[in-house]
Amino acid sequence: MKLKKIVWMFALVLLVVGLAACSGDKEEGDNNDAAGDKDKGKQTTLKVAALESAYGADMWNKIAESYEAANENVKIELTLKKNLEEVIRPNMQAGEYPDAVLLATGRPEALTETLIKENGLEDISDVFEGKVYGEDINVKDKMLSGFTNTLATNPYADGKTYLAPMFYSPTGLFYNAGLLEEKGWEVPKTWDEMWELGEKAQAEGISLFTYPTTGYFDTFIGSMLYAAGGTDFFNSAMTYEDGIWESKEATKVFETVEKLKDYTEKNTVANANPNDFTKNQRLILDNKALFMPNGTWVAGEMAEAPRAENFEWAMMPMPAFEEGGDRYAFTFFEQMWIPAAAKNKDAAKEFISYMYSDEAAKIFLEAGAIQPVNGIIDQLEGQNKTFYSVYESEGALPAMGTFASTKPVPGVNMGDTLYGSIDSVMSGKISYKEWQANVEAASDKLRDAMN
Amino acid sequence: MSKSKSRNIFILVSVAPAIILFLLFMVIPTIEVFRMSLYQWGGFSNTQQFVGLDNFRTLWNDMNFIRSFQNSILLIVVVALITVVFAVFFAAILTKENVRGANFFRVIFYIPNILSVVVIAGIFSAIYDPSNGLLNSVFGMLSLENLQQMWLGNQEIVIYSIAGALIWQAIGYYMVMYMSSMASIPASYYEAASLEGASKLKQFTSITLPLIWNNIRTTLTFFIISTINLSFLLVKAMTNGGPDGSTEVFLSYMYAQAYGNSTYGYGMAIGVVVFTFSFVLAAIVTRITKRDVLEY
Repeated sequence: MKLKKIVWMFALVLLVVGLAACSGDKEEGDNNDAAGDKDKGKQTTLKVAALESAYGADMWNKIAESYEAANENVKIELTLKKNLEEVIRPNMQAGEYPDAVLLATGRPEALTETLIKENGLEDISDVFEGKVYGEDINVKDKMLSGFTNTLATNPYADGKTYLAPMFYSPTGLFYNAGLLEEKGWEVPKTWDEMWELGEKAQAEGISLFTYPTTGYFDTFIGSMLYAAGGTDFFNSAMTYEDGIWESKEATKVFETVEKLKDYTEKNTVANANPNDFTKNQRLILDNKALFMPNGTWVAGEMAEAPRAENFEWAMMPMPAFEEGGDRYAFTFFEQMWIPAAAKNKDAAKEFISYMYSDEAAKIFLEAGAIQPVNGIIDQLEGQNKTFYSVYESEGALPAMGTFASTKPVPGVNMGDTLYGSIDSVMSGKISYKEWQANVEAASDKLRDAMN
Repeated sequence: MSKSKSRNIFILVSVAPAIILFLLFMVIPTIEVFRMSLYQWGGFSNTQQFVGLDNFRTLWNDMNFIRSFQNSILLIVVVALITVVFAVFFAAILTKENVRGANFFRVIFYIPNILSVVVIAGIFSAIYDPSNGLLNSVFGMLSLENLQQMWLGNQEIVIYSIAGALIWQAIGYYMVMYMSSMASIPASYYEAASLEGASKLKQFTSITLPLIWNNIRTTLTFFIISTINLSFLLVKAMTNGGPDGSTEVFLSYMYAQAYGNSTYGYGMAIGVVVFTFSFVLAAIVTRITKRDVLEY
């Protein structure tokens, strides 16, 4: 009995000592921090979460380093993941929000859209009115024009900016310039010329068109809507105006996509899935198809793939509907935002303004990520320079924007209806009329739910 | 303290961890799914709006959901039927006949089961490749060009392509299960039957099948659960529900709605339907396959 008591006592003492030791550690740590604070002023730990995309993780480490060097009061804690949504979503649901997040809209997990729909983003309009961190110039004066007044940055169309545009890339139809030159084919400027070229190519066993997956039609359809009816028409479509998808401008777009069906490489639909989409991109490299909608990242994405002789990437804006008509190249960009529930919003805003500094733009540029700031095109070299000067050299008009945000509507998804159905149009399962009717029906349901 | 009382306390303390864990990680989340299905909620904000049975009403008219439900049922039926037939057939051959290298075949058949679904998706996307995939190449070699298909592109057959991959990975697992129960049937039954002049087929239908019936019944429930789960994983990795939703199964549709469409509550309503459906289906299957258990 006595022995038992002694054992108990011993265990108890151990426990108490253990606990005391633990709490002691913590106190010490706190003390250290406090001492540090006195030296450096108020130290903030800024939690930055960024998607690790084709540009790589390294540039973010460099950005964090250079920002910590520029702003001694801030310590950056980076979360870099390829599956960022899966990592930060559970934390956010548990109330642990990052302070600044780089995650674009239009991703399958739709985390950014969810926050927009739930009013979970911080208004960052003042970032653009204020100075770039460490520079004596306002952010908005430094940025390329047009980037901060689209539905992709101001989702509620109320003049307030919630998402900061980052890393832009013109998109268009990508092709092998070497092949067209070799065959002596002119680059088509209108859809009529496209069809003509399609016939010529078909005679040689080459298809006119392919697409990686239907998701790539977001910029394709966007550019076509712009070309069909101009900016106002595009905005009406994006804000679900009644009957807009049944207008003659929209019909023209639907018809054209359906007509492309006869010119699309026959294996495209079978490979248009996340597992096999690079097979469709290979069709361009192997001279089996002429054009595909894509973004400038495709050159890097397919860098290791074998290709035909004399292969040379080139990009053209979308063809015009008639001779001399407007041609658009949709500008895709990623976005950075601050959750409304973040703890260090002011520090996060400063950090975002730093993204537009010369220093940051240079670090991003080295990794191939292009910030929408003045003079950036002059710093580009080689292939990227031709891609990014599409607006100057080819006379293409820039197109930007996305669908207006709505409250979540169960069972209705505009992306699936407008872009996903294209697989069915291409395989001939549905006609453009059914597709059009479905889109208008989805638009009707979303109109009432607009924020 | 009386002896029985202290014994009860001991039992209580011993089972408490298991019960607490079960409640915390199984019962409460399930209740939570049922509760959330009555709300409209995007997943993050504090505004959870109670909408009663609205989500279920929308579900009833959502053709995309109904299609995904049909796809799931089709997969469960096709995969279970074909797998049972093949697995029982192979198991009977490998246990009853003196096949050379029976153990080797047992291993070969079992291998697909230990592969990750992502690997299976990779293998089958190579098999189904329209231009130089295994399947179309073999048909081309045999001059059967009219059998060549866009296995993942033709919306009429793509769901069967998914079923094919699921069957391929399931056969080995169920075969091993059936083999174990076949092996325990006493050999004397077969000897007696063959002395009486019963054919191999007769022996199979009158001895083997009745004696492994209970085992088959159990595996039918497994089929329901595993097809629902694996079809989601395979579809996610292989087709992402495409082309245009023709391989969407109800779990992938639930995921797409709960996250991709920011309608978490609606996704949970789908979850409730899936939960109820699989429960009821398993109960029905168990019920209608009930036979007297034969002893030997």
